[in-house]
Amino acid sequence: MQATKSFEQAFLRHLLRGFRLSAVSYKSMSLQERKSAIKLSADVAMASARGSRKWTRGLITKLSREDEHRSFLRLILGTEYGRRTKPRHGSWKIPRSKKIVRRSLRVCSRRKNNLRAPHGVKSGVLARTLVEKRTHALKRLVPGGESLDGCSLLDEALDYVISLRAQVDLMQKLLTTFEAPKLRALSKCTLPERKASFVGK
Amino acid sequence: MGSAGSYGVGTGNSGAYVTEISEPARFEEEIRSLIQARFDAPPVSGGSFTALLGLSANQAVGLLHEPGAGEISAPAASSSPTGLGHPLGCSPTFPSNAALAERAASFPVFAAADSPASSSDGGPSPPLKAEPPDPDSSPPLPVPFDKPRRPAKRKDCEKQKAKGPGKKIKTAEEQTEGDQLPYVHVRARRGQATDSHSLAERARREKINARMKLLQELVPGCSKITGTALVLDEIINHVQSLQRQVEFLSMRLAAVNPRIDFGGLDSFLMAERGPLAASNGRGEAALDPVSWSSDPAPGTGLRTDLRPSQQSSTAWVYPYALIDHGTSLFGYGAANSVPLNSNQSKTDL
Repeated sequence: MQATKSFEQAFLRHLLRGFRLSAVSYKSMSLQERKSAIKLSADVAMASARGSRKWTRGLITKLSREDEHRSFLRLILGTEYGRRTKPRHGSWKIPRSKKIVRRSLRVCSRRKNNLRAPHGVKSGVLARTLVEKRTHALKRLVPGGESLDGCSLLDEALDYVISLRAQVDLMQKLLTTFEAPKLRALSKCTLPERKASFVGK
Repeated sequence: MGSAGSYGVGTGNSGAYVTEISEPARFEEEIRSLIQARFDAPPVSGGSFTALLGLSANQAVGLLHEPGAGEISAPAASSSPTGLGHPLGCSPTFPSNAALAERAASFPVFAAADSPASSSDGGPSPPLKAEPPDPDSSPPLPVPFDKPRRPAKRKDCEKQKAKGPGKKIKTAEEQTEGDQLPYVHVRARRGQATDSHSLAERARREKINARMKLLQELVPGCSKITGTALVLDEIINHVQSLQRQVEFLSMRLAAVNPRIDFGGLDSFLMAERGPLAASNGRGEAALDPVSWSSDPAPGTGLRTDLRPSQQSSTAWVYPYALIDHGTSLFGYGAANSVPLNSNQSKTDL
């Protein structure tokens, strides 16, 4: 499965716009600042190029929680910013109550398992807890994944992996593009020197 | 295309950076004319994906002279993108295309279905291609799982229509779950329990298994692994490694070259179209000359080299002929003739 060309195009366009807007300059910013600015614009570019998915919204919400990023996000997204990060208190409550419900369910199931375990270890139970542990880990990894259902979590994870891969590819290509003239300069530099030395002789 | 012709003339006239910086209004006019010209653009026949790509190429052409956001015209830059509308995929002038673009963006992600996936899902790409024309209805479940989705949808419809106890059609017949039937009811398999709970659970499990299969194909080295927990392990590792790679690459990009000012990065990248085109292919090549604005920050020696390349490189759309790393900066003369040819072909489009 590949990300589409249009997605990559939009991604690149957003990325460059983000670079311009964040004014990454070598004079005023340290390496760390530059790196975080680049990463921020890359993430925002990925999220906005992808459109509206649960993980994109989660990512933008997560990024906008930090105050320093907010102005940048507002620039990039324009009106979409207000739409996406509007505090929806109504829907906020739902994930919280889901968590509590889940926790209580977990406690109940643990009690049940403890009651059952004396009868004999059931492999199904073991497999289930392994899967659950990993599902929770995946939920933490995928942005906005905490409040997701099991199968929609897999959906979002799939989408997220594809976009991440496209992001990595794009940044690698960008990097080679930047490095190329330097390498070429290194290789070409030797030629005139050689010529000069030859002529001199 | 007259607009493209005038466009080409525009690039010919504006040789120096300075004039382009000082004429944002002209660019906005050009952009507006291009936006209108987009309607006249020959629509690519076929699915909406190609139409989307055709659109994006035109938009790309239109955005070529997007007023740059150099230090001078930063406010103009922030206003002009909003004037243009949201960048690709959500331009307000094409509301239908915005929805299409979003849908299409989600579909083609899965459109390149490998043969095992297609055989297992019953050829998702034809039903995928059928989906995009239908506008803003976002499906409750994602598209590639077309078959399981249709049962779920019909199931929901039936739930809404029918009463509680009769919500699924329970038959003890030998039919398997409705894979390809037009009316899709969830049927019990032979010898399996038929109460609604187990049916729902089985449908849910099938959905999860289908997605796990897709994820297994996606993550390298996962197809041999059996068992949900291990596959999930691999997926988690893969996601973590990708995130770490992004961090690392952003660090490298930050350290890349003190000469390059990211504000003026566009002109630099314009000259570097060759190698990027080689690695990216057509689609990206269409984008890059487009998104570069033509005003760099002054004062780097690198950019003074690029100035003569400005005019011809702005029209590079499909620089397949230019894919030679050596020519773009230093072997400049050789590269110069070729982009002019592509310039001609571009205006002919």
